[in-house]
Amino acid sequence: MTRIVVPIGPQHPALKEPVNFRVVTDGERIVDLELNLSYSHRGIEKAAEQRDFIRVLPLIERVCGICSHSHATVFSKGIEEIMGVEIPPRAQYIRTIIAELERMHSHMLWLGVAAHEVGFNTLFMWTWRDREAVLDTLEELSGNRVHYNMNEIGGVRLDLSPSQVEAALARMPVLEERIRAYVGMVEDEETMLTRFRGVGSLSREEALSFGAVGPTARASGVDYDVRKDDPYLVYDEIPWNVVTDTNGDVYGRTKVRIGEIAESLGIVRHCLENLPGGPIRAEAPKAAPPGEILSRYEAPRGEVAHFIRTNGTARVERVDIRTPTLANWTSVAHCLIGRPLADVPVIVAAIDPCLSCTSRITLVKSGGDLGKDAPPPNGPRGWSR
Amino acid sequence: MTDPFLLIAYILLFPGFLFLFAYSMTFEFLDRRIVARMQNRVGPPFFQPFADLVKTLGKEVIDPRGVDRPIFDAAPVVALAAVMTSFLYVPIIGPSPLAFQGDLVLVLYLLTLPTLALMLLGWLSRNIYAAVGGIRAVTMLFIYEVPFFLALMMPTLMAGTWSISDIMAWQEEHLCLAILQPIAFIVALIGLQAKLERTPFDIPEAETEIVAGPWTELTGRRLALMHLANETSAVVGSALIAAVFLGGLAFPWTVESAILSATVGFLLFLAKTVAILLVLSIIRAATARVRLDQLNTIGWKYLTMAALAQVGIVLVMMASGVGI
Amino acid sequence: MSVLSEMLRNLFSKPVTTRYPAERVPIPDGFRGRVGCADDRCIGCSKCSLVCPASAITMVDSPRMVEFKGRTLERKKRPSIALYQCIRCGLCERHCPADAIHLRNGQSINGSTLDEVVTCTL
Repeated sequence: MTRIVVPIGPQHPALKEPVNFRVVTDGERIVDLELNLSYSHRGIEKAAEQRDFIRVLPLIERVCGICSHSHATVFSKGIEEIMGVEIPPRAQYIRTIIAELERMHSHMLWLGVAAHEVGFNTLFMWTWRDREAVLDTLEELSGNRVHYNMNEIGGVRLDLSPSQVEAALARMPVLEERIRAYVGMVEDEETMLTRFRGVGSLSREEALSFGAVGPTARASGVDYDVRKDDPYLVYDEIPWNVVTDTNGDVYGRTKVRIGEIAESLGIVRHCLENLPGGPIRAEAPKAAPPGEILSRYEAPRGEVAHFIRTNGTARVERVDIRTPTLANWTSVAHCLIGRPLADVPVIVAAIDPCLSCTSRITLVKSGGDLGKDAPPPNGPRGWSR
Repeated sequence: MTDPFLLIAYILLFPGFLFLFAYSMTFEFLDRRIVARMQNRVGPPFFQPFADLVKTLGKEVIDPRGVDRPIFDAAPVVALAAVMTSFLYVPIIGPSPLAFQGDLVLVLYLLTLPTLALMLLGWLSRNIYAAVGGIRAVTMLFIYEVPFFLALMMPTLMAGTWSISDIMAWQEEHLCLAILQPIAFIVALIGLQAKLERTPFDIPEAETEIVAGPWTELTGRRLALMHLANETSAVVGSALIAAVFLGGLAFPWTVESAILSATVGFLLFLAKTVAILLVLSIIRAATARVRLDQLNTIGWKYLTMAALAQVGIVLVMMASGVGI
Repeated sequence: MSVLSEMLRNLFSKPVTTRYPAERVPIPDGFRGRVGCADDRCIGCSKCSLVCPASAITMVDSPRMVEFKGRTLERKKRPSIALYQCIRCGLCERHCPADAIHLRNGQSINGSTLDEVVTCTL
């Protein structure tokens, strides 16, 4: 049979954001794949260099629509570390609450999207319906559904009132019941299981060698979670578990994510119940001393890392954002070879790709190594990345 | 019904094309509404399918570059015509006046035409998604058609006739065939779901994989007619299964007046087709789309085997005289 | 089976969809909606225009006497907010020393005209 090239993207119903796969298929089977990223480069890193620490946070938050709090937190965490500012416990708890609520809504969104990719629209409608409860909580706590803007250097912008805490806690039993229902559905629904089981398999060794992060890695049995391995905020004080699975396929990733929703719910509940008193922000200096830091954070999709270099002013000299999707792309390309064409959407969706966040320009020097993180030899240039 | 005017009225108005058109719109509305409610949504209003049809009919027809226009225009018309013709042989208000020995075979083949038209459209579209969708459609045809045909041939075996109206009449005297041949009934329902390309068998038009499959390049009246053909085959398919397996218009008690009897029969027809639609909608809402290779397994390993087992059971039943 | 049972349960219960505009979702307190500035409180310090990440706030001349922390002082300017540019981050509200500028939990019409501005309302 002759080989045909099926272009998927940059505009395609399976993709929520622009990316391009040139899938070479032999009948229905994929034999080759070419991946083109970076259709929505926005120059956020450069724009971040132009703003002081107060004004940069809303921008950093807009790196990603789903994990907005993750980027803002990892950035302010890095800056605070350079400044040597310890943020008060109440602020840490509030950051954790928002972070875990964000993880819950992100995973619920993912579950719906994954179900939609295999044509199971009923689950898609249900998860997104139930996700509204999480979004409503976030809206009540922070004043917005998506961009919470809770962080500022030295603490959080808003305090939680007792009535807000009570209202948020009141939503938890409903969500808990829904999560139990999802566990049942994922175990029961035969047609969905046939589409998820054995699809996109990634062994532990492969996951490690491709540098997969987040639920993708954890589903392959890699017990790696920044929250546990390099604790920040209050993750070392509160009871919670890293969810791992040994299946390594899309089914395993689904199970990990549903498990994480349940864990996040536990964390949110614990934090809301044990919210310490005190101030919500510490006095932070306007400028940061010169320094470099690699700030890490477990976003819903995996480890997000910000490399930050400061130069003694109120602005960053350089910020480099490594989103989890970038770390997971190579494993996707690996999983797709040899699979039927019909598996493309579900395998791609399984890493929960966030494509626009990943769009960075990478300078590749011929003869040299891939200089993703290394700055150009003669200092940061205006147009780079 | 030898009066030519009555026959023309039968073909064109009721229960012919006009009724079929109205009922297929209602059918689509019910299907969408039921699925929406199961998904906890509101769903479309009653006139939505009709509004969609009128809107798409009025839209601009766009020809992909290099397309063979006459065939591209003709394929949806042929598909719709085939389905509408097949409806004339299905009993709606009493046995069909056009019934003849072998109309079941004719109806089954006419119902296959939309799929072939879809394959042709996909192939002619000059679009990679459409071509892949067309190939998938015709591959799927080979998978589900065998068990579907086998299942629908079973009543002929038991009733000893090739006419749908006669099979229906046979059930009035005996038990309804869904009870006598439950496996064939289930296989026929699943086959119908596959024939209508609804989840879990919406492989040719898998939105997230190949955009809209063969439908990708269809615009304006081509899209509207093709869509209408699909909706009408849902009605015809349900009516066929209702007639062949559920006893169609047959009811166990006798009603005096002929008009009243026809009305009761018609209401029974509506109730049975809607019940079949409900089952199809539940399947649609409760499943994910299977892959073509998985459908291959399901179709040949389970459905065909089940249908063949039913053939054996029917033969044994006939030999021993059970249910006859 | 849990899928089937929930499907049937949903079939006979009311859809969750909010039928806008007949019914509306309540907007919670503290929602960051339309921005507005209390004219009698604004002291014209221009802090809001400095912290605004979208540079949506410009200071315009508006001399007037205002009370601030028990003192009466004369202000020279007041903020003018370009609605089209406002991203509703709430930083102006957070940094306002006089508690004058606020994001209200009303409908946040972002304005379809480039030059629609909110001066001092509330």
